[in-house]
Amino acid sequence: MRDIRVSRLAGLIVEYSLAIQPRQILRIDAPDVAAPLVLELYRAALAAGAFPYSTLSVDGLLEILLEDGTDEQLTHVSALQFHEIETIDALATVWSETNTRSLSRVDPDRHARFLKAQRQLSNRRWERISAGELTWCGMLYPTNGHAQDADMSLGAYEDFVYSACHVDEDDPAAHWRLVAASLRNQADELESVRELRIVGPDTDLVVGVEGRKWIAADGRYNMPDGEVFTSPSETETEGEIRYTFPAIYHGREVEDIRLRFEGGRVVAAEAARGNDYLQSLLDMDEGARVLGEVAFGLNYEIDRFTRNILFDEKIGGTMHLALGSAFPQAGGSNTSGLHWDMICDLRADGEVYADGELIWRAGRFVRAPEAAAPEPVEAELG
Amino acid sequence: MVDSRVGRLADVLVNYSTHVEPGQLVLLETTPLAAPLLRELYRSVLAAGGHPHVRLGLEGAAETLLTEGSDEQIDWVNPMRREDFEQADARIAVEASSNTRELTGVEPARQARYSRARESLRERYLERSRLGDLRSVVSAYPTIASAQDAEMSLADYEDFVYRAGFLDRDDPVEAWKELGERLGSLSRWLGERRTVRVVAEGTDLTVGVAGRTWIPCDGKENFPDGEVFTGPEETSVEGNISFSYPATFGGRRIRGIRLGFEGGEVVHAEADDGEPFLHEMLAMDDGARRLGEFAFGMNDAVREFTGHTLYDEKIGGTVHLALGMSYPESGGVNQSALHWDLVCDLRAGSEVYADDELVCRDGEFLVDVR
Repeated sequence: MRDIRVSRLAGLIVEYSLAIQPRQILRIDAPDVAAPLVLELYRAALAAGAFPYSTLSVDGLLEILLEDGTDEQLTHVSALQFHEIETIDALATVWSETNTRSLSRVDPDRHARFLKAQRQLSNRRWERISAGELTWCGMLYPTNGHAQDADMSLGAYEDFVYSACHVDEDDPAAHWRLVAASLRNQADELESVRELRIVGPDTDLVVGVEGRKWIAADGRYNMPDGEVFTSPSETETEGEIRYTFPAIYHGREVEDIRLRFEGGRVVAAEAARGNDYLQSLLDMDEGARVLGEVAFGLNYEIDRFTRNILFDEKIGGTMHLALGSAFPQAGGSNTSGLHWDMICDLRADGEVYADGELIWRAGRFVRAPEAAAPEPVEAELG
Repeated sequence: MVDSRVGRLADVLVNYSTHVEPGQLVLLETTPLAAPLLRELYRSVLAAGGHPHVRLGLEGAAETLLTEGSDEQIDWVNPMRREDFEQADARIAVEASSNTRELTGVEPARQARYSRARESLRERYLERSRLGDLRSVVSAYPTIASAQDAEMSLADYEDFVYRAGFLDRDDPVEAWKELGERLGSLSRWLGERRTVRVVAEGTDLTVGVAGRTWIPCDGKENFPDGEVFTGPEETSVEGNISFSYPATFGGRRIRGIRLGFEGGEVVHAEADDGEPFLHEMLAMDDGARRLGEFAFGMNDAVREFTGHTLYDEKIGGTVHLALGMSYPESGGVNQSALHWDLVCDLRAGSEVYADDELVCRDGEFLVDVR
């Protein structure tokens, strides 16, 4: 039976996230398990007057390349792929996987070489996105593999995903327009802050954000969405933080990470599980020990950790601080091969101070930006 | 368990049919249904030193486009596909469908429009094939839908498919080369004839083939294969033909097609079922009413009708005629966005004459051409 939420999600992506215009070429990248969503995206794009097409993948091909390919094959990027990146006007990426751990056994060096070669494409893609020539949105279609990671049944996971996207409502775009306005207000308020201090269990960390731009993540690049983020000062992070949720990088989990920062850099790090992996990632390059992102997760429909960064970093009431590459559009300048989002749950007891003033407690902004909305008129009070 | 015949099929397609060489860009086109074969093809292309480039069709997309798309959207040809055909050195296209009748409800005129819009794409692709710049083979993966069309279980159908490709033999490539030699001799012999006349129940058709080239098909462009074909003289076809087998084409099935030709052109066309679609295809363009191909099916490992043209047209003891585009390498010049193969079984009682000499009775060739 057709799930109406799938077509609503497709409609939301096409109309709101990508704002598809007639005659635009939309490419839909997806694994075959996401075919029902791909078909609805295709249908919605046709209805918008666009020229959609899909590039599907099936499980197992990347593993074969990583296992059997010569160096030349591993790093080959064809003229066809460059041509496509130059030609498309919009791109929808469905990240779903059949088996979220299918790359667990591949040689990390060979995988890194493959990713490095692919970066020629992704860098050009980001250039075009930044220049406003290409719109892009990443999303997820619920599969058993992801449900399993979340310790949920497929049915329960579908409910979780669709409610996080607000496609269980009649007019999700209207919801996201409201969210966008509210996040924008929040980001504007944070813009005047010089320094954030995060206080929680085993956590007391000061992060400099003066002059940085806060960005409202409002459902255009990710669906679901709901965060405000910036790239902090590269040299001012001081103190300690303990990450309550496991941090996942390329499918590998590191549990209970504690970091100590001095002068912007990690000077001590330990993890209860996966410590070796943590240390090796911190030593990846110069920038790997410096924060590239600090963010507030503000999607309160996402109320649990599901081992998927698309959702986890937006859990309402959490903050995430990423080690590694920063966002130039936020004013960040740190560069690294790493961008590792680590999530800190501040819902039970956590406080955040902005230049000494308490702005966040137990997972909520103390003064919600919605409070700045106009006073209700009498008729509504009546 | 992985069927070892899947790996053998991949090996033959990569190393025999398209003969992939190091550094070559190889398009692998199919649907996710053929994932087991796709993985083996991918592996074989890597082993041959090629760069596989995968293009997977989305089931339901064609139906959605043809029922919901605007004319402009139906006419749109994806520039990525043009680029694919410009850049690729080899192409392996594998049919695999969940439902062979998914387009039955689509308006035939829109389907014809879709084919017309893609004619230039196909011309370019055939041009590069002709120049030897692109080696391309079309094959099929056994699916439940195809098994159902063939009125077989999937396991029986798989046996049928792999037997048809000689993949149950010790050395499939050797078997294809042997058949290729036999078909080469027959082609040379037929190349010296001027007319072919087919006589069977409901059929008496004469086709002019003077000066045309007969092509032996040995698994390089179709797999499985096994036929000899030519492009008939465009104005020479006279008489009637009744197609014993239903034709599955364009995502639907048409039964009981009967055609009457005068001066090379179809002047009379009827079908027991799906006649409006037949008429719409014949009206696609000027070339759609003329024959682009005349061929003998020569694969004796394909005995039964299965409703899939790739196999049916190869059945030893059949002839097939294609309405529409001819392949220039045969000397044919007919142009059309259509190329529709229709198969006629000769085994139940028939005679074929070449220049008035009886050469084939009940589907068995009487001439020794070795």
